Amino acid sequence: MDYTNNKLHVIYGDGTLGVGGNGFHYIFSYERGGLESLVAHDKEWIYRTPTPTFWRATTDNDHGSGFSVKSAQWYAADMFSTVESISVTVDEKTFEELPVAPFNNQFSDKEFAEKVSLIYTYLTNTVPHTTVTIAYTVTPDGQINIKSHFNGNKDLPDLPAFGIRFIMPTTATGFDYTGLSGETYPDRMAGAEKSEFHVDGMPVTPYLVPQECGMHMETSALKITRTTTQNNADNNPQPFSLKIDKGEKNFNFSLLPYTAEELENATHIEELPLARRTVLGVYGAVRGVGGIDSWGTDVENKYHISAGDDIDFDFNMRI
Amino acid sequence: MQADINWLDDPETFRVNQLPAHSDHHFYGTKSEIGKHSSFVKSLNGDWQFDFAKTPADRPRDFYQMDFDSRGFDSIHVPGHIELAGYAQIQYINTWYPWEGKIFRRPPYTLNSDKLTPGIFSDAEDNSVGSYIKEFDLPNNFENKRIIVDFQGVEEALYVWLNGHFIGYAEDSFTPSEFDLTPYIKNGKNKLAAQVYKRCTASHLEDQDMFRFSGIFRDVNLMALPAIHVEDLDIRPTVNNDFESGILKVTSKLTGDNLTSSTLKLTVTDAENNLVATQEQSGNDKVFFDAMTFEKVNLWSPDNPYLYDLLIEVLDADGKTVEVVPYQIGFRKVELRDDKVMYVNDKRLIIHGVNRHEWSAKTGRAITIYDMKSDIQTMLDNNINADRTCHYPDQIPWYYLCDQNGIYLMAENNLESHGTWQKSGAVEPSFNVPGDNPHWLEVVLDRARTNYEMFKNHVSVIFWSLGNESYAGSDIAAMNKFYKDHDDSRLTHYEGVFHTPELKDEISDVESRMYEKPENIETYLKNNPKKPFLDCEYMHDMGNSLGGMNSYNDLLDKYPMYQGGFIWDFIDQALLVHDPISNKEVLRYGGDFDERHSDYEFSGDGLLFADRTPKPAMQEVKYYYGLHK
Repeated sequence: MDYTNNKLHVIYGDGTLGVGGNGFHYIFSYERGGLESLVAHDKEWIYRTPTPTFWRATTDNDHGSGFSVKSAQWYAADMFSTVESISVTVDEKTFEELPVAPFNNQFSDKEFAEKVSLIYTYLTNTVPHTTVTIAYTVTPDGQINIKSHFNGNKDLPDLPAFGIRFIMPTTATGFDYTGLSGETYPDRMAGAEKSEFHVDGMPVTPYLVPQECGMHMETSALKITRTTTQNNADNNPQPFSLKIDKGEKNFNFSLLPYTAEELENATHIEELPLARRTVLGVYGAVRGVGGIDSWGTDVENKYHISAGDDIDFDFNMRI
Repeated sequence: MQADINWLDDPETFRVNQLPAHSDHHFYGTKSEIGKHSSFVKSLNGDWQFDFAKTPADRPRDFYQMDFDSRGFDSIHVPGHIELAGYAQIQYINTWYPWEGKIFRRPPYTLNSDKLTPGIFSDAEDNSVGSYIKEFDLPNNFENKRIIVDFQGVEEALYVWLNGHFIGYAEDSFTPSEFDLTPYIKNGKNKLAAQVYKRCTASHLEDQDMFRFSGIFRDVNLMALPAIHVEDLDIRPTVNNDFESGILKVTSKLTGDNLTSSTLKLTVTDAENNLVATQEQSGNDKVFFDAMTFEKVNLWSPDNPYLYDLLIEVLDADGKTVEVVPYQIGFRKVELRDDKVMYVNDKRLIIHGVNRHEWSAKTGRAITIYDMKSDIQTMLDNNINADRTCHYPDQIPWYYLCDQNGIYLMAENNLESHGTWQKSGAVEPSFNVPGDNPHWLEVVLDRARTNYEMFKNHVSVIFWSLGNESYAGSDIAAMNKFYKDHDDSRLTHYEGVFHTPELKDEISDVESRMYEKPENIETYLKNNPKKPFLDCEYMHDMGNSLGGMNSYNDLLDKYPMYQGGFIWDFIDQALLVHDPISNKEVLRYGGDFDERHSDYEFSGDGLLFADRTPKPAMQEVKYYYGLHK
C-alpha cells in the first residue's frame, strides 16, 4: 500500500494491532505480549517479542562474591516474567479495553492516526513481585520511541542489569555506534575513547569461562546491519540496517549472538551454541564488574543497581 | 661421590657439587662476538633421549652408564615440560599442594618434630621421573678448557652424570644450576645424563599458583671457560646527592691459572659511544677497580632508560685477549626517605605495575625471547612501568630487557609455601615452612643468595622480594638481613609479614598488602604509618573485571605514601589444545585434564588472554597508568 497521507495506518486486528507507514509495518501482539513484528523495507527484525531483561551472565567476580546467588531471582525473572496488562492509545484516545473482537468490528481498513502507543506491563517472577512497563510509541516516520520503567521494591535484591532484550531472526554482520571504545562498564569506562566505531560481526569476548561481555556504555547512536533473513522468498543479498538513537539520555547496549542464559551455561567458548540470532540488549542500568578480588569482595557500592529505586530509560528505533 | 635418592627427602640437601651463584654476565672470546654468539657457549637444546617413569621405583637405575643400551628411550624436546610432551597429567592448582586428597604429607622437621620422613618423596607414588640422555661432541675450540654445564631451569630435582660419573644435584627450579664437567669431559663424543624428579622437599617451597609441571624447561648450555675467566662481576653505580654526578665501583672475581700475570682492562662508554672511563688492574682472585667519578651522569628511569656500556677485557701475560665481558649499566638512586616515601632519582616512586608469570599457551613456562619482547612491548604500549616476577626468578634475558626498556623490577625469590599455612582462606600455620625452622633456613637463604648474585647488576631491579605468601618467621627475616647486608642500593619487600606484625621491624621496607580495599588502605595511610604502602597484588583481573580502578588512583593523588601497585596479573594461564568435538584449537584451564584437586579457571586472571591478545580492560589500565607519568 502506498501511504500518501503521511499518517499511520492502523489495523485493528483480532489479536494484534498493526501499525504501518512508508517502508515499515509493525505488529503489536496482545497474545504474545509485545512487539511481534518489526518489518522495515520488507525485512523482519523480530524473532521473539522483546522482554525486560534483568540478568547478565555471571562474571568471575560475581561468582566469587556470591552476588549471583544473592540475586538469583532475577535469573528467573529474566526468563519467565509475564505480561500483566496491555494498554493501547491511538492519538489521544486510550481504549478502556483492548480493541479486539467484537469491539474491533466497528473499524475498517482505512484507519489512520498521528500517533499510536502501547504499554505492556510485566510482572516479574520474583518474591515479592514488582512491575516493569515497556511503552512503544510509533509516529508516521516509522520511529518507535521505547520507554521503560522499573518499579522499585526495596525487598528485592540488587539487580545484575535492567534493560530490554530484542532477539533478531538472523545474525548481524556488524554494527556501527557512537559512544565509547571497547567493552565498557560503569566502573570501567574512564579509559575509553569517545568516537564513532565500526565492529565486524558480534564478537564474544573470549574469557576463559564465558561470562557477561560486550557492553557498550554511554551510546548515542547504533546501527545494526544484517544481510540474511529467514524469509524463503527473499533472495536479496544486500545489507540492511536498523538504527537506534538515544532518547532523553544516552543508552547502553550489547550486541551478541547469545542470551545471558546461553553464556551462563557454557564452561568454554566452544561450548556456546552455533551463532544463529542477534541478541540486542538495550540497558538503562548496568552493574559494575568490580575488580578488588574475585573471591568475596563485591563491586563497589556506587556501581550496584539497587532494586529499591525506580529506573527509567528510553530510546528510539528508526527504520 | 655417588648420587643419593634420599636427598629428595631432606630439606637440608639442596645443592651438591653445584657451582656458586654469580652474576649473569655473558662472556665472549672477542669484541666482535658481543651481542652475537659467544664462541664459549654451545647450546644443548634440542632433542634428547628420554625415558618416563611414573614413580622413583620404576626409574631406570643405570641409564647414565656408558654401556647402557638406550635404544628403548623416546625422544623429547629440551627445553620443555614433560607434561606438555604427553607423559604426565597436567594439573592446575592454586594454594593446596598438588597431592591434596591423595597423599598425606607434611614437611620434614615440622609436625614430626626433629625428624626426616624417609621415602616421603624418594618412594612416593606421585613423583614421576624423567631420565634424559644427551650425547654431544665437544667442539674443537672447547678442548683443554674448563667445561661447565648450565641448566637454566629444571623442575624440580636434578641429578647429573657425565660419561658415567656422578656430577651433581640441584633443586630451585627457577635458577640456573651449573656444574663443572672438567674432570670427566673427553674430546670427541660425550654422554650427559640427567634425572629429573617432579617432587622433592623443595615442593613445599614451590607451591606457586600455577600449572604444575616438571622437566628441563629452560635452556641447557655447555660452556668453555677461558684460561682466565671473569666468574663474577659486582658493579655498583651510585648517584650522588646532587643527582647530577655519580661514582662507579666495580669488583670482579677471577678463576683460572696465572691470575696475577693477567690484566683486566675496563672501559665505560656512554650511549653515544663516547669513552667516559677507563682503567687497568692486574689480575687476582678478586680485583677491585678504583672508584670512578662521573661528573655528569645520565640517570636511568622508565622515561629515559639510559644505559652505559661497560666492558672488561681480560689479557693474559702476553697481552693477548682471552675473554671480553660486556655489561650495560645504569645509574639510579632508590631511597626510602625520612618522610617515609620511596624515591627514585629524587622523584616520588609510583609503581604502575603488573605481576607476570612466564607463560605461553603452547609451551607453558618454556617461553621464548619473542614472547618476552612481546610482553615488554605490551607494557610500554600501556604505560605499565613495573613488573613483579611472580613468584620466582625469570629467565635471564627478561632482566636485560627490563634494563633496556625502563621497566622497574621487583625481583622475587623462588618461594611460595601458602599450602603450609593458608587453609581455605584461613591462617593456620601449624606446619608452616620456612617459618622459624632451622632445618629450612639454609635452603631459603640459598634462594635469596642466588637471586641476589645473579641479578645484582641490573639497574631495573629496585626491590628484592623475599617471596610470596609464605607466612613469616625468623627464616624470612634472615633472608631480609641477607639483602640488607649485601645491598644498600635497593629496598626489600615482603607482603607476608602482614600476618606477623611483630616482625615488621625486621622484614620489608614497605607495607605491602594484596587485594586490600581502597578504604582500608586509606585507613592505614591516615594513621601515621611507619612504612609507605604498596599493593603487591591488586585489581584481580579475572575474566571480565578491572572495574573501579579510579578508587586506587584517587589514593595516589591524596597520599604521597601510597605508591601504587602491581595488577594481578599479566597473562591468563591456559593451554591451547585440540578439541576433537569442535575440531578447533581451544584454550583449556584447570580441571580440563581430568586432574583433581584443581582450581579450575582461577588462573584466567590476566590483562592478556592466554594467546597474548589484550583483554578489553587494558584500555582502562593504559588510561589510569598514564595519568601519573
